[in-house]
Amino acid sequence: MTAMADPVTFLSRAEALIGTHESEAVANGVRNFLTMRDQAVGEFAAMDSMRDRARSIRLHALRHLDRLLGRFADEVEAAGGRVHWAADAAEARDIASQILEESGARLVVKSKSMVSEEIELNQHLEQRGLEVVETDLGEFIAQLAEDTPSHIIAPVMHMTREDVGRLFADRLGADYTDDPAELNRIAREHLREIFLRADAGITGVNMAIAESGSLVLVTNEGNGRLVSTAPKTHIALMGMERIVSRWEDAAVVLETLARSATGQRLSVYTNVITGPRRPHDPDGPEALHVIVIDNGRSNVLSGRTAEILACIRCGACLNACPVFQTTGGHAYGTVYSGPMGAIVTPGLHGMGPWWDLPYASTLCGACEEVCPVRIQIPRMLLELRRQAAEQGRLPAWLQRGVSRYAGIVTDERKWSRAKRWAARLSAPLARDGWIRRLPGPGRGWTTSRDMRQPAAQSFQDWWRQNRGS
Amino acid sequence: MDREVFLARVGRASLTSVLPDPPATPAYLADLPPADLLTLFRARAQAVNAVVHGPMSRHGAPRSVAGIAAGHHASSFLAWDYLPAPGVAAALHSSGIDRLDHDVPNNGRLEHQLAYGPVDIGVTGADAGLAESGSIVLVHGEGRPRMASLAPEVHIVLLELDVLERSLAHWAHKNPDLAGDTTNLVLVTGPSRTGDIEQQLNLGVHGPRHLHIVMIK
Repeated sequence: MTAMADPVTFLSRAEALIGTHESEAVANGVRNFLTMRDQAVGEFAAMDSMRDRARSIRLHALRHLDRLLGRFADEVEAAGGRVHWAADAAEARDIASQILEESGARLVVKSKSMVSEEIELNQHLEQRGLEVVETDLGEFIAQLAEDTPSHIIAPVMHMTREDVGRLFADRLGADYTDDPAELNRIAREHLREIFLRADAGITGVNMAIAESGSLVLVTNEGNGRLVSTAPKTHIALMGMERIVSRWEDAAVVLETLARSATGQRLSVYTNVITGPRRPHDPDGPEALHVIVIDNGRSNVLSGRTAEILACIRCGACLNACPVFQTTGGHAYGTVYSGPMGAIVTPGLHGMGPWWDLPYASTLCGACEEVCPVRIQIPRMLLELRRQAAEQGRLPAWLQRGVSRYAGIVTDERKWSRAKRWAARLSAPLARDGWIRRLPGPGRGWTTSRDMRQPAAQSFQDWWRQNRGS
Repeated sequence: MDREVFLARVGRASLTSVLPDPPATPAYLADLPPADLLTLFRARAQAVNAVVHGPMSRHGAPRSVAGIAAGHHASSFLAWDYLPAPGVAAALHSSGIDRLDHDVPNNGRLEHQLAYGPVDIGVTGADAGLAESGSIVLVHGEGRPRMASLAPEVHIVLLELDVLERSLAHWAHKNPDLAGDTTNLVLVTGPSRTGDIEQQLNLGVHGPRHLHIVMIK
């Protein structure tokens, strides 16, 4: 049903992926995450109230965002760090490259950061002659393969161990192996010296704490800790909405984050950083820079989809979404995929080529059900659909079709006549009450699902005959 | 962009923001059924592949730590200056394991850090244990390097029973100022892990492959 006018739509990207080994690998991986999430959430008696708390905390932060960001910046600076403000992606990239240039950096290590992909930082830094190395195992593999991540938590969910084995043999000169433990060891050895030699480390920020000027960084592998400990300069990229008031609030959100993401009770490393190393600290970076990034967020904040900024990026809604389960993340065309991405992407980058992402949903509500902060995702998907229709972005045939449909269903007489025709016309196509294939333009509807045969007599007709006057 | 301009833009956006009302906030810390903290901690730490030793007396700890190190054929270690049990570093030293210097000066940073590359063991002392998740809390600072729990293949942490707490939320509630009081603190929940290749669990991808928790009475 998506646009014919625009060549690169969700539908065309999805169709290229469905049925490939990529989409099957994602489907398996996602089911696994979901089972583990259900287990972790089910076992924790405080989860329900923790989610309510987390929701309140995040909504409160959005209501007072300017004040919290101001306080946060004051505290970071009091702890010896520096805060920079970037209106958009270009400014964020410039700030980052200027910091690196001034500190004389050449080798840069990174730990997984979605916002760095959002602003396309790596390409920018590489063009300036810097060597940039991703260190999260999945991101490292994606970078070697010159591929983009397909899942926000598991970036190379779409690759098999054989793919990785061939890649390491090819790009790192390792002996071919498809044993994950061995591949893991190869990556560890390759990256360890790079960590220690790196001039600067770039991380994202899972959460910032206004009251103390702290950054919370969550990783399982330990790369986030190495990146923010070993190099002499640490640069943290932060979407401006990633903030809570107090440490205690951060703890509540953390109680929900890993459980929702991977079914872990907490991620392996929850790292809380306040400023660069102090005089008596035996190790840690000499300089800490935080780049606070707007890049469309204040626009989202000003409107009807502001609530999506409460997202804590756990990925549970991706895993629960029947559309994501079928297509994988690449179909969404940007770093933010799944139901969350279908709201974030048009919000940050404008409807433009992204107007159809809110349509990549069945509105079943599974996303809202698993969301640790109970974000009303379907409400906002519908809101964006309304906006897309109002802006005249739907293809002409769809716009015409829907308004004609509206003309029929809102007129009782036309509607009864239409139902009688539907029953009559569909009767020859049906078997045992189901239509397995519709002809002509209806075919799309039945490619992946069967349709109930319309009843020969509508309920209204039956009522009139049997009970009515 | 100038800070004030940036924040003014955010403030203006908030004026027209459509946000649902937050739910009533329940007393979340009362929700959990009572549990024996030691039993729960042990089970949860083991569930994330940590090895739990003890509880043992303070005097038994050095021998236990030296035994763990010998089991990993260690030849070098990094340790915090202050540990919950005295004599641990000395016990490692006298079993022939070299102690590496943990201070990284700003001058000569690289050379010092490269010395960490091959370190076998790191010994630290937990400031708290979180039973619900099987986590230990390390507050870094003077004489307490971050790298001790990060660079080595094997991390041994000493944990006193009386610092056990129910959960992260409980502990943070009791210590509301902790985040800002120190440059760095970390919660460690099991050894370093990844599932990035076909969701197969692999330990020790960048951080320690083994986490030993030595409980002290």
